[in-house]
Amino acid sequence: MTLALDAATPRRRRMASVTYWDVLKWVIALSVTVVILFPIWWMINVVFAEPGTPVSINPRLLPTSLEAGWSKILMILRETEYLRAYYISVAYALLTIIGVLAVGSMAAFEFALFDFPGKRPLFGLVMLSLMVPTAVTIVPTYLLVADMGWLNTMQGLVVPGMASAFGLFLLVQFMKGIPHEMIEAARLDGAGHFQIYWHVVMPLAKNALVTLAILTFMRTWGNFMWPLIVAPNAQMYTVGQVVGLFNAPYSHHTVDVVMTANLLAAVPPLIFFLIFQRKIVEGIAMSGTKG
Amino acid sequence: MPTRHLPHYLMVLPFMLLFAVFFLYPIASGFFYSFHDWNAASDPRFVGLANYTRILGSRDFERAMWNLATYIVITVPLGILTALGLALLVDSFTGFWSNVFRSVFFLPVVLPAFLAATIWRWMYAPSFGLINMVLGWFGIPSVNFLNDTGTMLYALIAVDIWVSAGFNMVILLAGLKNIPTDLYEAARLDGASRFQQIRYVTIPMLAPVLFFVTTYGFISALQVFDVPWLLTGSSFTQYGGRQNALLFPVMDMMGRAFGAVRFGQAAAYGFILTAIIVAFTAVMFALRGKEAQR
Repeated sequence: MTLALDAATPRRRRMASVTYWDVLKWVIALSVTVVILFPIWWMINVVFAEPGTPVSINPRLLPTSLEAGWSKILMILRETEYLRAYYISVAYALLTIIGVLAVGSMAAFEFALFDFPGKRPLFGLVMLSLMVPTAVTIVPTYLLVADMGWLNTMQGLVVPGMASAFGLFLLVQFMKGIPHEMIEAARLDGAGHFQIYWHVVMPLAKNALVTLAILTFMRTWGNFMWPLIVAPNAQMYTVGQVVGLFNAPYSHHTVDVVMTANLLAAVPPLIFFLIFQRKIVEGIAMSGTKG
Repeated sequence: MPTRHLPHYLMVLPFMLLFAVFFLYPIASGFFYSFHDWNAASDPRFVGLANYTRILGSRDFERAMWNLATYIVITVPLGILTALGLALLVDSFTGFWSNVFRSVFFLPVVLPAFLAATIWRWMYAPSFGLINMVLGWFGIPSVNFLNDTGTMLYALIAVDIWVSAGFNMVILLAGLKNIPTDLYEAARLDGASRFQQIRYVTIPMLAPVLFFVTTYGFISALQVFDVPWLLTGSSFTQYGGRQNALLFPVMDMMGRAFGAVRFGQAAAYGFILTAIIVAFTAVMFALRGKEAQR
């Protein structure tokens, strides 16, 4: 892969000798790398260090005690409500992904591939909503959810976020590229409308669906404001809220315990990043350059 | 309605129904509440424009807007310049290292914003926080970054750029890849230096992407909430940090809704913010149109 990319960009390979600029760009790139990675690295070091050692003796520049880190992680999982918050956050993310993909793909299938009266104004209305800031809808949506008796429930967390205009946009962009002949062929073979959606278009859109699922996971896992207002009961706390409480000014936890709570919240997105890095980057780049 | 269209409507129905209930209806009801005094316990009482005038005349609003203006004027240009610099930097490497640096610079984007805030909160901590520790090595006395009104805003901006630079970088990188190579060839044949190539080829060709990144950056900066909320250890009854130095409009709105339980005012606040965003976006598009005509 490295070789292929090198060959494709001959414009940068004109000079064989190392120039002033070559040195400079490495220095800059490595310094930025340090600035970016250090907070995360430091968080890990604080967790994996004997608690109570003053920074003058152990500045936490390296992890020093694996054992201490493990015992803090186990302590948090056993003695606090963290595990339940984990469970809630995972359920919240998974259900939102399923909902966004299901209703989004069905609508995108129609908007991208068929014509019917009212299609343009409907789609236009949804796209217009991308311009409306969350600030204007969040309080009235909260009041509606409260009215429905959905405060502190999973449906209250999930359902209002299911009609994702961004998700619809992403899927429509992708499905527009599906050739019409494939749909006609399936129709000639006697497939019904829903069968075409499920057996022809959905498999072809797999890439876009996976990208949207990953982006939705990131968004939901990182959503702080909505759970904060709609699920204020301790029984329904998400990871974000628990992390917020650990960090609250009057929290009785010590720094290294707080950092352990932070680290545990970072693990799922970091794992996702390691596995799906390319898809995440593509999804974001796509939303920016085609928007 | 002819029946042959029915399957189409059935397929878009779930989405459109949810969209109507959880997006269109809240906008309409919010508009209604914004002219009423309402605390959820008693019936809404019509008050005309009182909610709007009360917000616009309040000291918190003034403070929040002033903070916001300062914050935006610094964070949007600085953030985009940083992202552009990073994109050009990543683009100047090839193959393996280009991918490595892109991944590293992008890493903070996948972390939830609440986490970035809580990690940095401790980095900024007096005495044992990493930043003060490093300052200590140089004999500089400990600074309480998050409780000193002179540094709070800059502390927020640093976190903000750490979080968002990678996001904008990825979008700008995609834009860079779309610039045809022969434009650089031509510029080089004309004797353009590396800097001139950036100035006269890269920047103009990137204009549409830069426009998107700026507009999007502004809209999200206007709604900043998670990071200042957590950096100041806010709650619905006490928020904004020392002397309200990190009070921002959405925080003010949320406080009015869930601290003071004035839902009418909170709804009106949302519309004021939307008006600002719409006005700004319109100006941006107008400028863009003018630019395109030239």
